[in-house]
Amino acid sequence: MIYKGLLILSWIYIIFGLIGIFRFNNMYVRLLTSSKIDTVATITILIALIVKSGINDLSLRLLLIMIFIMITNPVNNHIICRSAYLNGIRIKGEIDK
Amino acid sequence: MFLIITMILLIIAMFVTIIRMIIGPTVWDRLLALNLISAKTILLLAIYGVYRNNILLLDISISYGIIGFIGIMLLSMFIQRGGRLK
Repeated sequence: MIYKGLLILSWIYIIFGLIGIFRFNNMYVRLLTSSKIDTVATITILIALIVKSGINDLSLRLLLIMIFIMITNPVNNHIICRSAYLNGIRIKGEIDK
Repeated sequence: MFLIITMILLIIAMFVTIIRMIIGPTVWDRLLALNLISAKTILLLAIYGVYRNNILLLDISISYGIIGFIGIMLLSMFIQRGGRLK
């Protein structure tokens, strides 16, 4: 029963993630939404699956996936953001050095 | 039943992200869309694994996550060097 509520919550996150991609015009803000909301949607869904499958080796792997994604997804977005910034996309309102 | 709805929603989210990948003015938008699609694929695999109660699918989704992470790191390094593999 609990996992159903969590799944509904994750639907909201996924929909917000989609809106976030199209709504913002600046590239960096889109990166922000994708890294934050997508990671949170992943965590919510995986916790819902862990709650659903109870304590067995299935939920152990789910926990492993969750920890892995929690680490790598923000790092991925940082890498993209860094390569975009170094290659010359200026953040709006930044004074050109 | 709820898992099926989540899977369908994830597939729709993937198609919408593909549209963003096509529209995306800069290369980094496309990289961003690629990152989103790989994250959603991991989720889809995990949900399908739990839905079918098949443990092997979860191992596949972990390795897919690792490969996706390395792939995006190399791609952004490649782009940052201006398309040279030096």
